[in-house]
Amino acid sequence: MILRSALVLGVCLGFAVLESVFPFVLHLREARADLLLVVVLYLALNDEVIPGASLSLAAGYLSDLTSATPSCLYALLAVFTFAVVRIGANAIKTDGGIQSMGVGFVASLIHSTLAACLFYFVAPGSEGLVLKFPPLLWSALATAIAAPFVFFVLRRLDKGFLPLDAAVRVR
Amino acid sequence: MRSLLRRYREPLFVALLLALPFTVFAVKAKQKVALNAADRVVIAVTAPVEKLIVAAVHVGQDAWHDYVALGSVREENFRLRRELVREKAQTTAFAETKAENDRLRNLLEYTDKQGPLRSLVAPVVAVGASPHSHVLRIARGSEEGVHRGMPVVAPDGVVGTIALTTAHYADVQLIVSPTSAVPALNERTRARATVKGTGDQARCKLEYGQRTEEWHDGDLVRTAGTIGFFPQGLPIGRLVNVSKKPTGMFISAEVLPAVDFARLDEVIVVLGPQDAAGNALVNASSVGTAQ
Repeated sequence: MILRSALVLGVCLGFAVLESVFPFVLHLREARADLLLVVVLYLALNDEVIPGASLSLAAGYLSDLTSATPSCLYALLAVFTFAVVRIGANAIKTDGGIQSMGVGFVASLIHSTLAACLFYFVAPGSEGLVLKFPPLLWSALATAIAAPFVFFVLRRLDKGFLPLDAAVRVR
Repeated sequence: MRSLLRRYREPLFVALLLALPFTVFAVKAKQKVALNAADRVVIAVTAPVEKLIVAAVHVGQDAWHDYVALGSVREENFRLRRELVREKAQTTAFAETKAENDRLRNLLEYTDKQGPLRSLVAPVVAVGASPHSHVLRIARGSEEGVHRGMPVVAPDGVVGTIALTTAHYADVQLIVSPTSAVPALNERTRARATVKGTGDQARCKLEYGQRTEEWHDGDLVRTAGTIGFFPQGLPIGRLVNVSKKPTGMFISAEVLPAVDFARLDEVIVVLGPQDAAGNALVNASSVGTAQ
């Protein structure tokens, strides 16, 4: 379990680097995929509650580090997202690529909207909520496109830690 | 009690994990972001990887441009030669204008209050991933003399200010961030105002521009050079959607930033005024005066 958690953390670090570097080298303004959010979605849908919530907190912390937003904004949202998705896990399917994309798109939209609300209400010097939808939509689209890849990587990782019959059941 | 705790162990754990970041967020939300030891370790691990990936991509791009995509070089060569001739003619004209300007300055005993500045070129290695993070990460840090609050500029204009630093890396908060405000003046009329970020990557807004002054679409807005802010005269952007409301003291306008933040490979950190001995450069990779 410890090794698996360490590997998931390593994957999170890798995704944090990728989501910082790709928009820069591809000169993307708004279409920035939130890979760590997809990691949180995967954990909420597939992991045990205690390690999953802990790893979600770690993923949120990494998002905080790359965004220069108020401390723990994304850490708070990551655990919140984990809890909400976990509660509704039975209704959410991510068996296929299209389903993963759909879940990633909707989750990114809601997550970004919540982040925008929290950020603009508390950021020093801000004047209240200025919610701009085009960047949110582009970001959600990029997250949706990246979601099957992130799910694939984490499923491959989990298959190495589960017995064969259980590995087949991993969604 | 113990059985109750065991039964609700998981919800309680999640509630605790929610309470922890919420408490930190509620306490520190209004404060400036600061890095702790753990943050520095994570950045020290990830930033060199980011730098390596960007360098590898640039090597690939250079190889493509230098060896593969040479199809139109001859045509481009002709075009560049023509442009060079045109530029030379312009340079001569500019030199004459400058000489005239120098003469007039001396005549008016004009004193340049803005001393030469020390500056440092810094390569950009990453950007903030979230659409709400208006941040660039640069490969220069406190060891190279970069500190929080220092202005960061590019050849096209103002970029932002240093928000966070580690030993060899720093995060730049862009002027489009909603927490950014830059004292500005209209190049044409010298009217003063403040350019504030809106959170939109493509535009800022102009605040406190007096309606009694002249403001037009297309006017270039430059930094006002207030103490503690950016050096004077750097381009911020051009005015659009200027409108005078029927009431109120100020106009409403937006500013299109002069810099395309998505296409910055290198930026210049303004370290401060040059010392009396003229030590303008911090190290070999830094540039001279930025004015």
